[in-house]
Parts: sequence; C-alpha cells; structure tokens
Amino acid sequence: MTDNALGTIGMSVPRHDGPAKVTGRFEYGVDASRPGMLWARLARSTQAHARVVSIDTTAARAVPGVRAVITGADTVEYVGSRYIRDEPILAHERVRYHGEPIAAVAADTEEAAEAACRLIGVEYESLPAIGSVAEALAPDAPIIHPDWEGYWVSPMIRRPGGNVLSHASLRRGDSQAVFAAADHVFEDTYEVPMVHQASLEGRVAIAEVDDSGDVHVWSSHQYPFGLRQDISDILHIPLSKVRVTVTGVGGGFGGKLYAGVEPYCIVLAERTRRPVKLRFTREEELVATSPRMGATVTVRTAVSADGILLAREGWIDYDSGAYAESSPGVVSVGLMTLGGPYRWQALSIDARAIYTNKAGCGSYRGPGAPQAVFAGESQLDRIAVELGIDPLELRLRNAVRDGDLGPTGQILENVSLVETLEAAAARIGWDTAGTGDDSGKGLSCTWWTTTGMPSSAYIRVDEDGTYVLVTGATEIGTGAVTAGVAQICAAELGIDPADLKIVSADTATTPYDFGAQGSRTMVQAGNAAIAAASDLKDQMFAIAAEKLACQPDDLELRDGEIRHKDDPAVSLTVSDVARIGGTRGGLLGRGSYEQPPTEFDTDSVVGAMIGAFNIPSFATHACEVSVDRQTGQVSLDRYVVAQDVGHVINPTYCAGQVTGGTVQGIGQAMFEEIVYRDGRVVNPNFTDYKLPTLPDLPQIETVLVEVPSSSGPHGAKGVGEQAVIGPPAAIANAVRNATGVAVNRLPITAERVWSALRDGRTG
Amino acid sequence: MTHSFRLSVNGGAYHVDASAGAFLLDVLRDDLGLQGTKEACAEGECGSCTVLVDGEPVDSCIYFVGQAEGHEITTVEGLGGSDLHPVQRAFAEHGAVQCGFCTPGFVLAAAALLTRVPDPSADEVREALAGNLCRCTGYDNIVAAVLSAAGGETT
Repeated sequence: MTDNALGTIGMSVPRHDGPAKVTGRFEYGVDASRPGMLWARLARSTQAHARVVSIDTTAARAVPGVRAVITGADTVEYVGSRYIRDEPILAHERVRYHGEPIAAVAADTEEAAEAACRLIGVEYESLPAIGSVAEALAPDAPIIHPDWEGYWVSPMIRRPGGNVLSHASLRRGDSQAVFAAADHVFEDTYEVPMVHQASLEGRVAIAEVDDSGDVHVWSSHQYPFGLRQDISDILHIPLSKVRVTVTGVGGGFGGKLYAGVEPYCIVLAERTRRPVKLRFTREEELVATSPRMGATVTVRTAVSADGILLAREGWIDYDSGAYAESSPGVVSVGLMTLGGPYRWQALSIDARAIYTNKAGCGSYRGPGAPQAVFAGESQLDRIAVELGIDPLELRLRNAVRDGDLGPTGQILENVSLVETLEAAAARIGWDTAGTGDDSGKGLSCTWWTTTGMPSSAYIRVDEDGTYVLVTGATEIGTGAVTAGVAQICAAELGIDPADLKIVSADTATTPYDFGAQGSRTMVQAGNAAIAAASDLKDQMFAIAAEKLACQPDDLELRDGEIRHKDDPAVSLTVSDVARIGGTRGGLLGRGSYEQPPTEFDTDSVVGAMIGAFNIPSFATHACEVSVDRQTGQVSLDRYVVAQDVGHVINPTYCAGQVTGGTVQGIGQAMFEEIVYRDGRVVNPNFTDYKLPTLPDLPQIETVLVEVPSSSGPHGAKGVGEQAVIGPPAAIANAVRNATGVAVNRLPITAERVWSALRDGRTG
Repeated sequence: MTHSFRLSVNGGAYHVDASAGAFLLDVLRDDLGLQGTKEACAEGECGSCTVLVDGEPVDSCIYFVGQAEGHEITTVEGLGGSDLHPVQRAFAEHGAVQCGFCTPGFVLAAAALLTRVPDPSADEVREALAGNLCRCTGYDNIVAAVLSAAGGETT
C-alpha cells in the first residue's frame, strides 16, 4: 500500500513481467503452439527483378508430410501494404526483390516444409534490376510497378507515379528571397543505407481457423488492432471474424506493426483445417522484412554572418525498396525533422519515397528521422566550423523556445531544447579544443513526437477486491504497460502496482488501442487508464454511498476501503463493494483517451500524413571520440544523452528507453548497414550485420530532463523512440572535431574515416 | 537416422532420440520442453541460446547434442531452484530486462562469471558478456545488475 496520492509515480518499481522473463517461463511467439499444428515455410525469389514464367510445385507436394502448397496464382486477390495496396502476399507474374515470397508450404514439420520449398521450381525471365534511388529516377529506368495507376491508395498520399510512390513537401516563408539575401549558403549531400530493427525474436505467428471460418491469430506483434484490420483488408475477411491475440513479444522497434507472417498462416490454415505456425529465420528477417529506408539527403542552408539560421531547403529521396509499406507516412517525418528544432524564416523541403528492387521498407523506431537528422545536424557543424562559431553556441542561438513555431507552424509548448543542450554540455564538459591526440567532441539535437490516436481501458474489480486492468495496449518490452501504465493506474486506485493484474492486447477481450508505436503507449494508454479508474470509482462510490447512507462526494478511496471523509470508521472494503457490484452486472470502469490533434498550418504541407509533432519532446546528444589516423578506427570514448521526458514515471525504465535507443542509434552510426550487391543482401546474419556489443560501447551517460507536458499523465511525454535519432550526427560531428574531416555516409566505418582523411574531405 | 543420447540437464537424467547432427538447443526446446533457451541467430553469434556445460557458457545452437553427453547441462530453468538466483533477481530489479528475449542467455553467462569470479570489476563483467547481444537495453543496466548480484558497485 502506498501512502501518498501519487503512489509509485517517480519510483523505480519492478515491471510485472520481470520474474517470468528472468526464469525463462515467459512465453514468446516462438514458444507458442497449438494442438495439431503444422509448420509453414516460404519459398523466395532468387531474382531481384524478373517475370515469373512458371512455377512447378509437383516435387514439393510429393515431400512426405507436406499438407499444402500455395503460390501467387492461389492468392491473386490478397494484396497488402497499408497505404498503397501494391504488395501481393505471394509474388504473381513478377518478382521485385531478391527474397520476395513466391510460394508457401505447410507441413507436419518445419524441416519438411523447408525441404518442399527447396523443390519448388521457378522459371524466371530476368528484368533489369534497380539498385539505387538514382537508378530508379533515371529517365529510362524500368518501372517496377507498371500497374501503379490501378492500385488502391490512401487519399492522404500524393503519388507522382512511376517509381516515385509518394512525395510530401513543405513550404513556409519565401526561401528563395532569404537565400538570395543571405551572407552564407551551404550545400551538402548525405547518404544513409537501409538498417534493420533486428529484434532478437523475429516475426512469428500461429493461425487457426474454426468451422465457421473465424480466424484466431497468435502473433508477436506491436499493434493487434492494426493487424486485425490488415488481415481483414488483405484476405477480405470481415473484421469481426478475426481475433488477434498478442503473444510475448521479443522486441519490435517498429518491425512488428503490420501484417507479416500472418496472412500465410491463415491461408494455409484455411486449406489444411489445421493450425499453422510460421517463424522467420534471421536470414529471412534481414533479407525480406521491412527495414528502415535508406536515403539520399541534400540540404542547403542560408545563414547570416553572425550565425543565425535563416532558411533551409532540402531534398530527401528515401529508398523504399520494392513496396510502399509504411513509406508514404514516413516521408512526412523528413519534413518535420530536416530543419531540426530551430527557428527558421523559411523552409522548403521535399521528401519522396522511391521504389527500388530491394526489400520493401517499413517502420523502425523514429522512422524517417535518423536519415534527415544525420544530414541536418552534420551540416550545422560544418557551418559552425566555417563561421568560427562554437557548435553549442550555434545551436543555442537558434534553438526553438516556448511560443516559437515548428516547421509546419505548430505553436511549440513546454519546449526543453535549451535545457537538454545545457545538461548535455555540462555532463560531457563541452569544449571543442580536443586533446591534441585526435580526440574530439560532437553534439546533435533532436525533437520528436508523442503520437496521439485512441487508447482505451477497462478496470474490473473482482470480488476479493483485486483490480484488473484490461487494456488494448501492447507490452513489447519497453515497460510502458507492465511498469508505466501499471504505476499510473495503481496511483489512481491507491494500490501497489504489484497488486494490479493486467490483461492486454487481445482484440476479442480488450478495448481498442492504436498500438505500441510512435512513443505513445505510456502517455495515451496511461491517460485511458486514469479515465477508467475515475469511472470505476464513481461506480464503487455510488454503491458505497447507498450502503453507508451518505453521498458519493462524501467518500474517498484509501487503503483498500471506501470511507467517509469525515469519519473513517464509516467504511466498506473494496471487496464488500465488489461483491455487491458483482450481483448488479459487475464493476467495470471504462475509459478512453484521444489527444486532440495538434494544430498547424495545413497550407504549408502537401502529401504529408503527419503535419505536426504531438506533445513534442527534445534531446541533445554529446559524445567524445578518438580517431586512429592510420586506420580510421573510431573509438567512442564517452556518450552523453540528455532527453526531456516530461515527467519521469519510472526512472529505471525511462532511462532504459533512452539508453537502449541511443545504443541502437550508435549501431546505425558506426556499424549497421544492409549491404546489397547485384540485387541481393550479402550480409544477412549477425556475423556480417554488426549490432553493437558491450566492447563497442562506453557506459551511456543518460540524463533525464523534466519539462512537463500539459496533457500527458503527470506531465509525461513520449520517451521510446527519440534517442535513436541523435547518435549518427553526434558521432560524425565528434569525428570532424577530432580530425577536421567530414564523413557524409553512414555507417562511419574505419574505411570511410580513413578515406575522408586521405581526401581531406571537409564538406 | 536417429541415435539415443543420455543427457543430464538441470540435475535430471534424460534419454532422447535425435539425429547425430541435432543441436542441443533444438533438443532442449523441442524434446525436453525447456523453452527458456532462445534462438535468435542460429549461428553462435548472439548468445540468446547460452546454456552452461559443466558451468561454462556455450552457444547451444551450434553445440551438437552428442557433445553434451557425459556433462551437466544447466539451462535457465535450472538456475534458481525454488527461489530466484541472485543474478535473476538483480536482472528483474535493475531494469536489465526489457523484451527479455536475450535475458536467459545473459543470466546464465553472468551466473557462470560469478561462479568463477565472485566479485568482478565492471570491465570483467563487460568482457564476460561480450558474446551476448541485447537489442533493447543498451547493456548498462545488465552490467549494473551483475555487479549488484555480486555485491559490487552498481555505478
């Protein structure tokens, strides 16, 4: 029992799912099974771009234990991709990337299914493959989707056509005039490759179809209600006939937000009348599952002689791979982030998503932002060096403050950029003098959103007085549900969060939630839980008032009792009230929350699915590197991140998000790249796709800054994604400070640093 | 072609029939139902499948079941007994667990370290856990948890 009205808010209470996870008893998607279950495997394209002449499944069907084989001819009507319906679940007539699913097999064992897949014979007629955005935009480039005009497309998207699948643009102020009058203009181009979420548990699901055709899917997923809608849309099954139950989730990071493995399981389960499980191998994950888009970013900035940023123009060409997936939404993030959290007289930014013959790209933590911010923040340090202004001072001079406008004209509130700059600079001991031994420091600044959209909750109280939170929100590992929302809910009920039971993420039993995406869960699901607790208390007080012959307003909930405020002896236990409530249809508090949309200048953008950052938060990254000039090897010696989280609900898990996100960002900065050669991924494993490990890293010095929001629970802001955005530019800027050279392509490998040193490259 | 293997896992004796090429990971998960051991890369690169063989951590995804004969295997299920092992408790209490998929492997690697070196330095912990990947935490809370379990400094 807690003895203050805030309960455990601000305390590092352990998460609910901790014990099960440390003992190995926690059940993930890969651990789940159903009686009579079959295993599925997919056969995949061995060509990057080709016409499919014929598919022969005869030998595959003859493999003992094989129960069903399907190809694109069986699934012509089943086309996915949430915003532009361009992605058949199995390639039909044409393959558009190496690794694209072309057939699916269900068998008694995974080995039999795999053996059958190897025996599927496909005759291809090769087509020229497009390996880069530049090739895709060439005048004579082959069109990857010749039928693009016939695709269903979400009305928010501006789709120029051909290989350009979406184009969002931002125009504010008269950038031409500002550039014409500016003292200095800088222009640079930056390259960012595709990188992968690399959750340690890959995509995995089981589907079962009952005799009435109702589908039950168990999936390791971040957004069960979105998955239910995807399944309904792709397979033309009424929504009410689809139930999604989320299993334990072994990491998501945006990679489990859309339909992935599930449609294959469902179609095969329909054919075989058996439950079907499909899990992807690490190779399949890295070759064919929705990585972060690569990008080519050109940024042009007008600056006054005294270091005032005036206007910025930018062109971001994101490499979407062969399918649209989440790219049409992600492009708008480029508009929001290329200018950074600074004051501008004018902005003119164009962001496009472009088809190439690579894996279709999806969402990965802070989607769209690391590419743009690497460019924008790297160029700031070039400007600082060339104008002789300290990079910290340059940022402080231009930082947005309360009441300033965001890039699309939203009025910024509870702005904390300067606080994070000061906190990071103090912690790292900011100076740019270096130590004379090729070491240097770098900074970068970011801002990010707390995504809105609805969350809902029920809170039930059982006859023994136990509260059960029933939430559609999904715990993917962050602690947002099993620590954060639990603490927020428990505080409203005056209980220890350990005594709260949680039921979550099942479309049949829990109320709607927009999913674990966009740094939203603790804020939005937390607010929904507060609303549900309020409703439940009203119901409990009404019963208690009747029994105690007083008014509901006379009562308070304390220490498991509903008491008269003036006479604590006049009371009923929660259990007493729950028993009475149980005879009257039960006590069930209901609540929901939906953030009002943040207003912005809607005339400033075209084709943007995201036009404002809701409850924005800010962060500064600062690091120190040393560079071996002989080899180009960069040693990351110190790393500081200061991020505004509004109000800390749980210090351990809050800092855990910032630290963990930072290390993913360091991975993108220094190690990670999906390498394509001749149309295929040549590093589809953890030996060659290098994730950060302990020897690569200093201890991350995480500073939580608190500038409360006006609408998050207890002033909280979204936390989860932002930290991944800042590291590439901070590290590039530190390398520049240490060596004087610029590395404009990620990852910042020894080879690239060595080449930049050899070439004396400064811009 | 299957062979019969005698295994000693978490103090219990097992007979399993498996192919000579079967890996210990698959036998543990599929034949013995010990699903706490995880597969994430299947090539000995990430440490998610770590088990202890006579107290030493190995990657069970590339460890043939035959190699395990005559040795005592400890999986995460066998670590704590009726109560949590101090490393398990420290992981749960220090934010060392997020999605938790890597946790069994880390817990076993850390427990093996503390058996060998009861009071390690932070550098010794970082070195001992260098072969385990975590995609969520950024590692620092894992290091802190191991130091805490050892009774050492947690900074």
